[in-house]
Amino acid sequence: MKNSIQFIQKTGIALAFIGGTFIFSGCNSEELLNPVPITSISDVSAFATPARILNQVNGLYNNIQSGQLYGGRFQVYHDIRGEEFLNETTNGVTGFQTWNHTLVASANEVNNLWNQVYFTINNCNLFIEGVEANKAILGNDALANNYIAEARFIRGLCYYTLLTLYSRPFADGNGSKLGVPLRLKGEKSDGGNDLARATVAETYAKVLEDLNFAETNLPANYSSALLNTTRAHKNTAIALKTRVYLSMQRYADVITEANKLVPTAAPFKAASGVAHELQADITKTFAAPYTTTESIFSMPFTDVDLPGTQNGLGSYYNPGPRGIGDFSLNLTAAGIINNPAFNAADARKKMVTVVGTKTYLNKFALGPQHLDYAPVIRYAEILLNAAEAIARTSGVNDRAIALLNAVRKRSDASKTFAAADFADTNAFISALLLERRMELLGEGFRSLDCTRLLLPIPGKANVATILPTQPDYIWPIPQGELIANKLCLPNN
Amino acid sequence: MKKLSLVLMLLLGSLATMLAQRTITGKVVDQSSKEALIGASVFVKGTSAGTVTDVDGTYSVSAPANATTLVISYTGYTTREVELGTSNVVEVELEAGVNINEVVVVGYGTQQRRDITGTISSIKGSDLASSPVQSFDQALQGRAAGVNVSLPNGVLNNPPVFRIRGINSINLSSFPLIVLDGVPTFTGDGGNNAANNVLSNINPNDIESIEILKDAAAAAIYGSRASAGVVLITTKRGKEGKTKISYDGWAGWTSAARRFDLLNAEQYVGYKNEAARNANLPDQFFLETIDGKTVDTDWYDYVLQTGLSHNHGLSFSGGSSGTTYFLSLGYSNQEGMIVSNTFERLSGRLSLDHKLGKKVKIGTNMGYTTNFNAAPSTGSLPGQSFGTSGLGRIPLVTAPNIPAYNADGSYNIASNNQPGRYRNLQQVGFVNPVPIIELNSFTSEAKQLQAAVFVDVNLFKGLTYRTQYGVDQLSLENISFQTPVHGDGFGTNGAATNIVNSLDRWNWQHLLTYDFSLAEKHNFSFLVGNEQQRTTSSSWGASRTVIGDPFFTTYQGNFTTIVPAGNGQGENYLLSYFGRLNYDFKKIFLMTANLRQDEYSAFAPGKKAGIFWGASAGLTLSELDFWKNSLGNAINFFRIRGSYGEVGNNNGIGDFASLSIYGSGLYGANPTTGFAQAGNTNLSWETSRKTDIGINFGLLEDRLTGEITYFQNDIDGLILNSPQAPSKGIPGNSIQTNIGSMRNTGWEFGLTGTILKKAKFSWTSNFNIAFMQNEVTALAAGNTDIFTATAGLETANITRVGESIGSLYVVPTDGVDPATGRRVFINAKGERILYSHVVPSGQSRWTVQGTGATAAAVTVAADGKIFGPVLPTFFGAWDNTFRFHGIDLNVQVQYSGGNYVYNGTKAGLRDQRFWNNQVEVLTRWQKDGDVTNIPRPVLGDNVSNGSAFPISENVEKGDFMRIRNITLGYTLPKSLTSKINVSNIRVYGTANNAFLFTQYTGTDPEVSTNGNSNGAPGVDRNSVPMARTISVGLNVGF
Repeated sequence: MKNSIQFIQKTGIALAFIGGTFIFSGCNSEELLNPVPITSISDVSAFATPARILNQVNGLYNNIQSGQLYGGRFQVYHDIRGEEFLNETTNGVTGFQTWNHTLVASANEVNNLWNQVYFTINNCNLFIEGVEANKAILGNDALANNYIAEARFIRGLCYYTLLTLYSRPFADGNGSKLGVPLRLKGEKSDGGNDLARATVAETYAKVLEDLNFAETNLPANYSSALLNTTRAHKNTAIALKTRVYLSMQRYADVITEANKLVPTAAPFKAASGVAHELQADITKTFAAPYTTTESIFSMPFTDVDLPGTQNGLGSYYNPGPRGIGDFSLNLTAAGIINNPAFNAADARKKMVTVVGTKTYLNKFALGPQHLDYAPVIRYAEILLNAAEAIARTSGVNDRAIALLNAVRKRSDASKTFAAADFADTNAFISALLLERRMELLGEGFRSLDCTRLLLPIPGKANVATILPTQPDYIWPIPQGELIANKLCLPNN
Repeated sequence: MKKLSLVLMLLLGSLATMLAQRTITGKVVDQSSKEALIGASVFVKGTSAGTVTDVDGTYSVSAPANATTLVISYTGYTTREVELGTSNVVEVELEAGVNINEVVVVGYGTQQRRDITGTISSIKGSDLASSPVQSFDQALQGRAAGVNVSLPNGVLNNPPVFRIRGINSINLSSFPLIVLDGVPTFTGDGGNNAANNVLSNINPNDIESIEILKDAAAAAIYGSRASAGVVLITTKRGKEGKTKISYDGWAGWTSAARRFDLLNAEQYVGYKNEAARNANLPDQFFLETIDGKTVDTDWYDYVLQTGLSHNHGLSFSGGSSGTTYFLSLGYSNQEGMIVSNTFERLSGRLSLDHKLGKKVKIGTNMGYTTNFNAAPSTGSLPGQSFGTSGLGRIPLVTAPNIPAYNADGSYNIASNNQPGRYRNLQQVGFVNPVPIIELNSFTSEAKQLQAAVFVDVNLFKGLTYRTQYGVDQLSLENISFQTPVHGDGFGTNGAATNIVNSLDRWNWQHLLTYDFSLAEKHNFSFLVGNEQQRTTSSSWGASRTVIGDPFFTTYQGNFTTIVPAGNGQGENYLLSYFGRLNYDFKKIFLMTANLRQDEYSAFAPGKKAGIFWGASAGLTLSELDFWKNSLGNAINFFRIRGSYGEVGNNNGIGDFASLSIYGSGLYGANPTTGFAQAGNTNLSWETSRKTDIGINFGLLEDRLTGEITYFQNDIDGLILNSPQAPSKGIPGNSIQTNIGSMRNTGWEFGLTGTILKKAKFSWTSNFNIAFMQNEVTALAAGNTDIFTATAGLETANITRVGESIGSLYVVPTDGVDPATGRRVFINAKGERILYSHVVPSGQSRWTVQGTGATAAAVTVAADGKIFGPVLPTFFGAWDNTFRFHGIDLNVQVQYSGGNYVYNGTKAGLRDQRFWNNQVEVLTRWQKDGDVTNIPRPVLGDNVSNGSAFPISENVEKGDFMRIRNITLGYTLPKSLTSKINVSNIRVYGTANNAFLFTQYTGTDPEVSTNGNSNGAPGVDRNSVPMARTISVGLNVGF
């Protein structure tokens, strides 16, 4: 009996002791079980303040500024598909298969670019929905519409970006071929993987819808040259529309849009919004501060916001130690750099650097930190877009020639085109396409200028010419999409 | 526990009749060391008479005059029965060995091995201590049935692939929970290019025993963390008695076990120019002569070496009646088979036990370790396979007809950051390995404190309370410098990155155990407990680029830019309540039941708690009279056991995995915010339902013991990265979702026995083999296949319902078309499609064999087929120890097979870019009618041999047999050593990874390029070979 009492007493003491520690342990456990991250923001508070919403706007630009996209690789892919560059490093990570047209659905660039574009699109969709729901936070409907317009500009640019690589050109069947899946709602949860590809025409329609909305709702300009270059304003949307219509061969629409930016006669300078015009010296466009009125839209970089390893334009085109030098200029007759039409005195032809027997493009000269802004839209392109559209609709006229001359004479005063130089419209178009290769070299236009016109993509070295009928004329749909999206059809 | 066995034996002997007495005396010593065994139990068989040995190992016991046998037992030693003769003095030598009566560490306590009905493998620390390894887990290869440990390659301190009964998760970790003296510790690679398996901070010399808990009954007490099995490490503690000092040291020489036979310069030039001509190009490659000698570089010469290692351990232990201690110091300095790959460890450990009166015991164990790892860029850690600076790859791809150094002694490097071409017309290498080995440096240094204090209070007879507070503080400092001269640092004109990562954990446990017996038949043991564990992590660092002056080689030098690198902060918390009941009836029927509730912070609100349980039961038939009377002489022990339980897994889940999160970045100079993680408000535990059925037996008085186990593990609610169509734009194209399920089934056989035992010679043997199958039974998003890439670039693995996890998914090929020399691919329709890399413009590279008609390009997505499994379907080891006088010889044979390996390295070795090739390419197709598996070489061809996408030509069987270890030792006679006051001296030599027998054509079928990856196992891609180590060692005890 005494033993049992002792037992109960001792057990009681023990339990009290243990209970005490258990209670101690339980007191802050709720807090410890529900930790809040301190280096990232919960989705529920992503629209909590105007400043944070603005950060999201910049986040959308940050997504297209990715080295996988307009931070470098998009431009590189379009250039190296063409004949202007020779591959020096046979590195599959830096575009070797894009260059020699051996891409397969599982190739990295095919998947990475698609992923980055759609990631951006989803961020735009989530942002548009979030701003609609939180207009009160901004307290300013006009600002909310500005922001939504920026998101729709970026979304439109994204869908257009996809069309240039993953779909047959509009000209092939007048947009009847397969475009890309159109995702227009924000995605945050599981399900809804399957979505068929819209047609090319439907996809273009969505691009234009976004850009038209953007033109209407974007501000005419911002408070600084930097912002005018790195964020979309009315003229940015208009400028992009000239490119989009050109890709659709809707030349009259190209002219309509171009007319908003380009006066009918010299001096060519945008009359409304940001006063875009050519700079007297083209090299100023590619040098700090990169924010002249010629640069309609560019991706900015700083010491702590770089395009990333093997992404920057300079990384591809600059020889060491300023870059990796994956691609040198094609010095055979096929490449533009040694084309007889490209005069030695041309300022643009001087934007090269020679190392031994190799010549490299020197447009994006900074390195090894690739701080040069990556150009997306320049005023020069708009002039050439307009000239081409005018010639194709009205034949070779003074305005078309004046626009071509504006671009040429800025860099090569020795040459003035005259009507007599062109036997017919085709001759003008040939000269104009040549001019585009000189002017826009390294800015991501070469294969686009072939495909929109259903021209063969010229070969180089031991890489054969790709005919418009060949599957390799466009990129494959990425394997990642084909696997997860059962309704998405491949390209061949 | 010794007392418990004493009581037990007293009970068993209670029927004996007490007769006239005689007193027997003697001494119990260790058979090999002849050291006195203190506290060994000595019983007179069939009686209640018994005693324990004193501090000198001597005993005195009163026995009935008609007593015939003494039974002597001691923890960790084989129990012996000694026939009594006429002499009253009986000297006994006990042999150390697995003893079914020994005490085994289980979760939150100990049990006698004989009482265990779960499945637990025990490994003695002494079996691991002399292995020439960096961390104990590397030495567990082949030590336990169903436990597959393999080294990924020969990089020092690379964490081994460690799987207990197969892969038990798809997306989380399949690495087991590692518990050090009751406190779960950190695992994984904490390093940079220098691998740093943080488990290397545990000095193998300090380990007393390792228990591997395999089934639910054993592991369920660890509830949420038990899915992949649990490994309990118990460190050494002091024993009462005079101070024992021991020294263990070894020195070893490590070199690559195998290397490839590559084309020499002349063969390279001839072969590659043939490929150039086949591509309609002029000759591209030319021999070079320097100082009258043809340049013929074997790049292996600059990358591989014979590394010298040495390891030292010194320990002191002992104690008085109230206080015992163990103190150890360790130093290890190892060089790898790769140049400038080193590992250094300095460790100290102290454990103290002190009795405060009769009821209270306090104690502590504290280990503090620093390690320092250095390595070049080996390209052999997970995610690195395709790095152009990887030293696994460089010797294979770099042309042999260029030198490492120019004639003037400078590095052969060109302005485009490639090796200089000399007379070759095109690129001939990615990176010259010599400058990056000499000028770059990557180091990872860890400092880790693992310490715990505990109090045991004996509240009442059988009722004990224990509380233990443990800390585990790990600090990692990873430093790298990449030279601007050449290699990866060239593009940024030099780079120096320093990252510090601090992991802090505390773990507090309260345990109450109550042991009692009813009617001397029903034995109960209760445990209730509470455990809390909180872990915080913080990492930060920066990368400086564009060097101010080539003089600088460290982060602290002068650079023009700096960007943040490696920043992160996290925390998690686990709160658990658990209980266990052990019951047995006269040791005939035994059972254990566990119940545990865990709440874990990373799961979604409302889904944080999980309840886990396990139960096991065993019936010891050999304790029944009918058995004793019939089979008892032959089969002295026989038990049927079974267990079932549900356990969980949270190992490897992100701290904030359930939350939807916006991350931040920069757009030019502006801060940005953007959608970064799609959370899941239903995210909760993965659960495994584990079933185990088995028998344990002992034959001929335990001369042969064994076990046979069948297991099935059904894992449900696997947290999968549910694949999202990339067009949805979800970050990472995935959302973590509890959706998959998978099943592992298998058989394990283990046999341990003394095959021969003569006075001077003995042969003991331990054999184990496991047969295992894995099947994925459900996946996310309508069972969408999961593809896992190697280093983000080559996707050879698929996880598909109905198949084994991570099977290979490649395009089938069927040799080479004898008419054209082109590779034959088999497309989905079964058509035989040929590939020609160079064709005239407008023609297709893909044509139908025979007709030449244009065919669609072959792709993995459209034409892939499964080859599997990649997990061995059988594996095991046979461990033999022979003793003759003082000589001991250990031979461990390891075997594994039934699996496929994707030999991606072979794709590289046959690639027709400038890359050097294996000599087998000389058997290539040359003319109509040639029958070979090497296609007609066409310069630039990256498709025909599997570089562009994986092909079945590179799928090989992974069967192998390996002489894992041979150790020959000699223990000096006691007569000799006692003269110099040394209790024992043993010298030994060891060959680790001595021989490999396999048909596999890569360096080693165990190479695991993706490390512990669940989704992409069985891939061999550009890894350095395995190492072979020859070592000699010395053990001295005072």
